Amino acid sequence: MSTETFSPKILVFSTDKISDPGIDQAGLRKLHYSPSVYVISLPCSSGIKPRWIMRAFKQGFDGVFIAADGHECSYSPKCAEHTNTIIVESQKMMKENNINPKRIRMAALCSVCAEPFVSHMGNFSKILSELGSLETEVYKAQ
Amino acid sequence: MSIDKTKYDALVVGGGIAGQEAALSLADMDYKVLLVEKDLSIGGKMIHLSKVFPTLDCAACITTPKMSETARHPNINLLLNTNILEIEKDNGIFSIALTIRPKYVKEDLCTGCQLCEWVCPVIVDDGFNNNMVGRKAISIAFNLANPKVAAIDMNHCIKCKKCEIACVPKAIDYSMQPQNISIETKTVIISTGFNLFKPENKPQYGYGKYPNVIDAMQMDRLIAPTRPYNSVVRPGDGKIPDKIAYVLCTGSRDTSIENAIGCSVDCANNPICSQICCMYSIKQAQLLMGALPLADITIYYMDIRAFGKGYEEFYQQAKGMGVSFIKGKIAKITQKDHNSGDLILRYEDVTTGTLKEAKHDLVVLSVGVLPNNEIAKVFTNQKLELDDQRFIKQVDELLSPSLTSIEGVFVAGTAAGPKDIPDSILSAGSAASEAASYINNI
Amino acid sequence: MKQRIGVYICHCGGNISDYVDVEQLGKLMAKENGVLISKNVMFACSDSTQKEIEQDIEENKLDSIVVASCSPKLHTHTFRNVAIRAGLNPYNYTQVNIREQCSWAHSDKPMDATIKAYGLIRAGINRVSYSEVLESLEISAQKVVAIIGAGVAGMRAAVDLARMDNQVYLIEKGNTVGGHVAQAGRLFPTNENGKEVVDRLYQRIRQQSNITLFTNATLEKVSGSIGNFWIEVKLGSEELKLNVGSVLVTTGFDFYDPKEGEFGYRLSDRVITLPDFNKMVENSKGKLIHNGKSVKSVAYIYCVGNRQSKGENRYCSRQCCTAAIHSSLHVHEKFEDMTAYHLFRDIRTYGKQELLYQQSSKNGDIYIRFEEKEPPVVELKNGNPTIKVKDYLTTKRELTLDTDLVVLVTGMVPRTDSNSVSSKLKIPIGIDRFFNEIHPKLKPVETVIKGVYIGGACQGPKNINESVQSALSGAAKINATLKSGNINLEPIIARVNADSCLWCGKCAEVCEYDAISSIANGGKLIAEVNKATCKGCGICAPTCPSNAIELAQFTDNEIESMIDGLMSKAEISPRVESQQNNQKAGVQSLAGYPKIWRTIANALEGNTLTIPQIAEKIDQEASLVTWHLMTMNRYGFVESAGLNDNEDYFMYKLKK
Repeated sequence: MSTETFSPKILVFSTDKISDPGIDQAGLRKLHYSPSVYVISLPCSSGIKPRWIMRAFKQGFDGVFIAADGHECSYSPKCAEHTNTIIVESQKMMKENNINPKRIRMAALCSVCAEPFVSHMGNFSKILSELGSLETEVYKAQ
Repeated sequence: MSIDKTKYDALVVGGGIAGQEAALSLADMDYKVLLVEKDLSIGGKMIHLSKVFPTLDCAACITTPKMSETARHPNINLLLNTNILEIEKDNGIFSIALTIRPKYVKEDLCTGCQLCEWVCPVIVDDGFNNNMVGRKAISIAFNLANPKVAAIDMNHCIKCKKCEIACVPKAIDYSMQPQNISIETKTVIISTGFNLFKPENKPQYGYGKYPNVIDAMQMDRLIAPTRPYNSVVRPGDGKIPDKIAYVLCTGSRDTSIENAIGCSVDCANNPICSQICCMYSIKQAQLLMGALPLADITIYYMDIRAFGKGYEEFYQQAKGMGVSFIKGKIAKITQKDHNSGDLILRYEDVTTGTLKEAKHDLVVLSVGVLPNNEIAKVFTNQKLELDDQRFIKQVDELLSPSLTSIEGVFVAGTAAGPKDIPDSILSAGSAASEAASYINNI
Repeated sequence: MKQRIGVYICHCGGNISDYVDVEQLGKLMAKENGVLISKNVMFACSDSTQKEIEQDIEENKLDSIVVASCSPKLHTHTFRNVAIRAGLNPYNYTQVNIREQCSWAHSDKPMDATIKAYGLIRAGINRVSYSEVLESLEISAQKVVAIIGAGVAGMRAAVDLARMDNQVYLIEKGNTVGGHVAQAGRLFPTNENGKEVVDRLYQRIRQQSNITLFTNATLEKVSGSIGNFWIEVKLGSEELKLNVGSVLVTTGFDFYDPKEGEFGYRLSDRVITLPDFNKMVENSKGKLIHNGKSVKSVAYIYCVGNRQSKGENRYCSRQCCTAAIHSSLHVHEKFEDMTAYHLFRDIRTYGKQELLYQQSSKNGDIYIRFEEKEPPVVELKNGNPTIKVKDYLTTKRELTLDTDLVVLVTGMVPRTDSNSVSSKLKIPIGIDRFFNEIHPKLKPVETVIKGVYIGGACQGPKNINESVQSALSGAAKINATLKSGNINLEPIIARVNADSCLWCGKCAEVCEYDAISSIANGGKLIAEVNKATCKGCGICAPTCPSNAIELAQFTDNEIESMIDGLMSKAEISPRVESQQNNQKAGVQSLAGYPKIWRTIANALEGNTLTIPQIAEKIDQEASLVTWHLMTMNRYGFVESAGLNDNEDYFMYKLKK
């Protein structure tokens, strides 16, 4: 289906116990966000493999958003640190593949963070729209 | 269930949310439980609700898994459409006489296909939808009923035999008779819930006289996904309401109802607070803001009792969404113009101390909680005491909240007094703990 | 790869099907590789649909199922049980969330929601194709419970757990039991004294030989997992290590401590908190004396430290209104000629507690209502307080009150040590900073850590009987878990590929639960996962340089095929209204139905009308027409034809 205005496709990695319920809340309260946002939920954001992120870009996602637990992670107090390591690692791989590192973002989302989630999606969509679709990207890694 | 169907560790009376929770808790501890429900399905009042505060989870989503777990638990036997006739205690064992009322449909044959319902020409009030719509004289109690089996309303059935012809598995049986059985149990848990105040007993509010004055349970049906109408519209004429009023404390905190017409001792006066009406009204207001974005919603209140976890925040959120809160006691509701169906609320605005009038096109009476203590009458050689408000008396409210005046009989949920859903569930868990401790030490 | 997949797409009574074209998706999914059955269902969670799925699994030998309905938080357990009952491994089932994260989130764009749902369900099918049979792990459990905190909630739970034959360790940080209740005076509703209640409970604890009470005991460290926790407790200079099956946390609350100058607190000895006031009342005889002066008038200021719309305590502490009024009643009974002013925002004497409020009003107590934006101001002259307040009950009249005492009705706050307890037991903390349960209705005493339960006011403000109920509810759950001596654990844990693992130790480094260690295997060291302690977080997986450790159910195959599924191209056509109901209507005629049905049908013949128009046409009450028309609508004789021009009424037409 072709759309006239570019609506960037975003893959969100959420967490089963905290950020995914927050995203559910957005739906529950019918706070609308872009329907080209798709969510895969995992136990913990520190368990995301960079190769999954690369797969998402390969399959046509324009951006990847990690909805982390931050301080509320029930598994590890160092969760934010671990997740950040994964992002740094992924960005290295992205540059190697001429993908703009701005196409990955992370934010902490709580289980009632419905509005913040919607506004994150809005902002990220805007950034990605400015970058244009990944297919047409001519980002050159330094 | 492969166990002896006449001997149990616990009898749970009432299959609402508290009864299910108590039965499941005991069954999970490997006790054999008989759950007796007077209606055609378990689910109690909660299954009627749209969504529940303060999380706005859909009520059915919370209740149906529990209903199905209850119906399927290997340690729970379920009896529906069943009344308890007598409970007698001898040597620490309770003997129970029960009667299973006929459904006129053979449960083991019925598949819940509803073909009978489609052909039935007799229309009766749909109690599940608080009589705002009709249903057939043969039907399944409601969409999510468990078990999902049809039953005939014999008071209205004309025996035209259309259902009998339509039923493929031949489950219809007009000749079915009540079945009396007796069982024995070590403990009894009373989770018979509550009655809602009947707003006819407050005639100055015009319920029953003006079609656009409804009670809150009716509104919950109107906004539920399994609602009776295709949208939120007034029962008076199908208009989409745009100025809705809530009258809190209808039949609660009220000692002026005495001698009301047709009113038994249990609804004469209700001085206490019903504990749930503020919150369910705020919940409905939030849901209505979603369903009818252009509607004005005003809640007339005495005090807003948003006391539970997350409730105050929920109340503030409703204010933020634009729900109006007016501290004022409604004196009288009248319908000035029969054609418009709109209503005039006369009230004292407490903040300014003046009498005011306001026009609304739909009025919701937030009715209170009254005791349901019928069960007390079936104890033959023991006395199940009631408290001053005629709820089941808790004899050690602080330290053993489910103990009653009879050793071995425990109370769970709203049978002991008004409670919201989380508190009812906790109370049921607590009753299960006390009952299990009791059984273990007999 | 699975070849006999069953796909169930839920209408959710309109919650999904009003926006997502589930009928079309059902047809599309039927064509997918490996899909044997694809069905649309009204309520996937209903008993009849559960039975239908079971039957399908059995009759068609399905090797996996996908349920596309609501959030997995609600029904994963329900459908796993469906699978189990039908003899299918519960991990060969995948839940797809097309409600919270699709139909509701995109209710403004039904077509796009349908396209998204297509991707989500395809992802679910792909994932389930790679799903493996996982067997749950059975571990033996100690029938021993540690209760942290010997307030009334903890003590009461100890009694029942002991009576249900569990060994109980009751661990109290302070040197006495009974917590705040032991300090309290007369209690609602039984009028017992706090100390009497605690003594009564203490006697019951002493009667149980299987309760061991430790006082002056601090929780040092917690390790292990459900069935076998190790609780390290410090008792003076002694260290104890207790092996327990489950933990109940009943650490209670603190009273809010007003800041210096908050309503004059600490600036005048005549401004005190309600708990201190209660002690004073309890200790005074004949006359109420404070610092040598007789007290004849008291002003209670409510909601101190609570319901702060902008502060950190936004919640209500639920018991303080009743506590203040109950104290005031007690004061009237005990001392003569007392005057009381209650400066409140809303009086929250819920339930039967309302009777106290009525009694207090009858006693002549004066109630003055203020709003948060205009709180009372306590002015001090030579240490004597004067209160200025606008009374919202009497046209905001400004009142000046000189009372002998100002009592601050303080709310409950989380204990200052709750962060330390939370970090040792890994209990999440909610937005109100109290401990958080998993779900207030589904799992009200459970925490995300299996085997760790919460009860009483550590979870949020509660009065005594509510605290006891919640703690006993926890006791019931714990007893059910430990009763058989065995516990089944979810098999979603990490596992190591022995061939590619080169043991670098990175996975063990990040594991918070000491679940990974090295063992010798075929002449080399490899990582090994402790199945009982692994929590299944998967943090180890991305750290492995040789991709040799993964989390069951979250393997590369499963996640990557999901990503592929999300992006698969959909051929969705614009929605066609379902014909199902029409067919039902078609076989019926109005013969035998109420006469008014035929009258209404005649009025609608060739017309679309609103209810008032029909009522006028057939000369009947509009309310009667509404009832019958809606029933006709329900049984498929009429249907809505959209809104009228004013957009205030629906119009109706006959259904052909």
